[in-house]
Amino acid sequence: MTYEFYKIKVLVVEDNKPMLDLTKSILQTFGVVEVIAAKDGEEGFREYCLHNPDIVIADWMMKPMDGISLTRRIRNDPKSPSQYTPVILMTGFSEKRRVLEARDAGVTEFLVKPFNARDLYRRIAQVIERPRQFVRSEDFFGPDRRRHKNEEKPYTGPERREGGRRAPPPPVTEIDFADRPQQDEDWQ
Amino acid sequence: MTEHYNQKRKRKAEFIKPINTLKAKVGSGGLSEDILNRAQALLENNTVDFLPLAEIYLAALMKGIEMAKEADASADKEYIISSMLYPGMQLKANGGMFHYPLVTKIADKLIQFLEVIDEADIEVIEIVLAFHTTMRAVVLGRIKGSGGTHGANLIQALHDACMRYFEKNKGNIGKMIIAEE
Repeated sequence: MTYEFYKIKVLVVEDNKPMLDLTKSILQTFGVVEVIAAKDGEEGFREYCLHNPDIVIADWMMKPMDGISLTRRIRNDPKSPSQYTPVILMTGFSEKRRVLEARDAGVTEFLVKPFNARDLYRRIAQVIERPRQFVRSEDFFGPDRRRHKNEEKPYTGPERREGGRRAPPPPVTEIDFADRPQQDEDWQ
Repeated sequence: MTEHYNQKRKRKAEFIKPINTLKAKVGSGGLSEDILNRAQALLENNTVDFLPLAEIYLAALMKGIEMAKEADASADKEYIISSMLYPGMQLKANGGMFHYPLVTKIADKLIQFLEVIDEADIEVIEIVLAFHTTMRAVVLGRIKGSGGTHGANLIQALHDACMRYFEKNKGNIGKMIIAEE
């Protein structure tokens, strides 16, 4: 049994035509039938509102609207059909401050270019298998910037203390957006 | 000891766990090695000519170099650095995607250099110009792949130029490092 990617829609937003075509072809090889293309953030947001895709893959540096601004609109614009759609940001940048900037805009995963087919697949598998919870605070709305190490593995062992059970310790967390992430290593 | 000095918390964050509709649609099992190999082969065998793309980014980098040369004391230092950094990032991103990994390696060195300098002084401009000349030679010479020993020597020479700059101009990097920390 494999992923049934033919059931999902993916929006790719990229101003570099050869790169857009290459990304589309890889996704089609993965089995995605409906790949929607847009050449910048503005067109990307229009297509996003029109098609309500399941995943957005966007380049960072585009004019007039870049991938970061597009992500902010997806997360915060009242016209956005879904604020929770995973956004995978593609970029040549890998420095920590760039990664943090993307994270703070509400990006779900970060894909450093150049990448290979497995890198792209890993990011997609990550948003499917380990979706982030969302956080809404006074100044931020987007995927939780920390990922809980034990969120998918709740303690199932025997309880050793009866009555007056203490509250469990807070979950161990770690920053997801590591310093200069390398494609071959898991961010987490 | 009580938390928050017995005061009511002013800022609250709401945690939302959206329904995983994506998982519900695609199911389980991942992708087979065969599919991944086919996707990788497609990527490796793409016939895109990198030259026209590279020319656009190299021209943008040269424009950034010219801007840095002409900048006066009142110019926005970050804007000047960005005008060289962004085309460098595009060269790094796209070189490796279209069979020019040596361009990616050289551009990565350029980005690392520009990310830590404080301002684009005349020595910085000369070094960025050397990066530009080297990448242009690689692209025009159609040097695909790593470039072998010659490629490694080119990268080493550029690296050494950056290191010499940092040895000589310790004041031009300190602020950025402190800001990162």
